[in-house]
Amino acid sequence: MLKYFISFCLVITTISNFAQEKESKDSISIKNMYGLRLGIDISKPIMGMIDSNSSGLEFVADYRISKNWYIAAELGTQKEITVEDYTNSTSNGSFYKIGFNYNAYENWLDMNNEIFVGFRYATSSFEQTLNSYTSNTESDYFSGNTLSTPITTKGLNAHWTEFVMGIKVETFKNLFLGFSFSYKIMLSLKQPTNFKTLYVPGFNRVFETETGFGFNYTVSYTIPFISK
Amino acid sequence: MKKTIIYILLFAFIFSACEKDDICLLPTTPKLVLRFYDNTSQTTVKKVERLSIWADGKDTISNYKSVTLDSVAIPLNVNTSQTIYHLKTNSVNGNIANNATSTITINYTTAEEYVSRSCGFKTIFNNVTITSNNGWIQSFTPTSLTTINNQTSAHVKIFH
Repeated sequence: MLKYFISFCLVITTISNFAQEKESKDSISIKNMYGLRLGIDISKPIMGMIDSNSSGLEFVADYRISKNWYIAAELGTQKEITVEDYTNSTSNGSFYKIGFNYNAYENWLDMNNEIFVGFRYATSSFEQTLNSYTSNTESDYFSGNTLSTPITTKGLNAHWTEFVMGIKVETFKNLFLGFSFSYKIMLSLKQPTNFKTLYVPGFNRVFETETGFGFNYTVSYTIPFISK
Repeated sequence: MKKTIIYILLFAFIFSACEKDDICLLPTTPKLVLRFYDNTSQTTVKKVERLSIWADGKDTISNYKSVTLDSVAIPLNVNTSQTIYHLKTNSVNGNIANNATSTITINYTTAEEYVSRSCGFKTIFNNVTITSNNGWIQSFTPTSLTTINNQTSAHVKIFH
C-alpha cells in the first residue's frame, strides 16, 4: 500500500517537473481556466434503474496542473449481484482511484475540450456474500445439491491499475460532459475461502485473467481558481 | 506516442471482450469409474456384455442400456450419502432367462469445492465405502477410498 503511494508521489513529481519545462511556449497569451472540476458519474444511477442487480454512486474530480496535465480522482460505492449458472453472489463496498490524465487535444483559442488518456491507481474494500449455489453434477440423472444459506466474507480488498481513455466537452461555461473507457489490471485481490471474488466495486467483473473494463459518463463543473 | 497509447487501449478492449471463463471447461463433480477385469486373469480387461445400469428406484442410465463395455462412469447422488446401483448383464444371448444382476452400494460423505465462475461448485466424495451382493460380480478392489475428487482413472476394479 505504502509502496504504491510512494511510487505515485514520484510519478506526480515527475509530471509536474516535466510540465513546468513545457510552460510558456505560446507567444500569444490565451487565458485558460485552472481549477477544481467536480462531477458525478450518471451512468451508475441509470444502470441502477435499468438493472435491479446493480446500484452504485461515483464522484469524479480533477485538478489542472498544467496545459495538458490533470490530477484525477474517482470515489464511489457499488453493490452488485452476480448471477451465474451455478452461483448467485453479491459484492458490496467502496473504492477510490487516483492518477492523472493527459489531454491530447489541441484546443482552439480558449476552448477547453479534451481527448485524454490517463492512468489510475485504485483500491477497493468490500464484502462478498455467496447467496446460493448449486453443485455442478454435469449430469441430470441426479439433481445438484442447492444450498441457499448466505455465506458472507467481510474485509476483502483489491488493488489495481487502470488505463483510461475518454473525452470531455464543455457544453456550457465550466460545465462538462464526459465519457471514458477504462482497462483494468489487478495487482492484488484477496479471495474468500472456497469461493472467488467475481465482482469488485470500481473494478467491475473480474475476468479469469484478473483484468476488467469499465466506462463512465460524467457531468462535471469547474470551480475556477485562476486563469493563466 | 499519443496514437500508440490509443491503439494499445483499443486492442486491450477488443481482446478483453473474448474471455474463456464463460464456458465451463474444467472438470466438475466426478463420477465413479468402474473397470471390468477377467476374474481368472486379473490383469486382463474383460468387457461386460449387454450391460444395463440403473440406480435404485430410477430409470436405466441412457448411455448404459444393454451395451458392451469394459469401463463405465456412473454419477453418485450428491443429495444423499448413499447410492445403490443395479448392474445387469447377459453374457449368453438376449433372452431374459439369462440375465444376471448384481447390486453395489456406495456410502460416502460429500463436500463442495469451488471450481470457477462458469463451472460453479463441484461435489467431492470422501470416506467412500463400497459393498456388493456379488451375483455376477465375483470380487472387486478396493472396498474403500479416502476420496473421489477426479475421474481421470478407474476408481474400482471389478472382476467377473
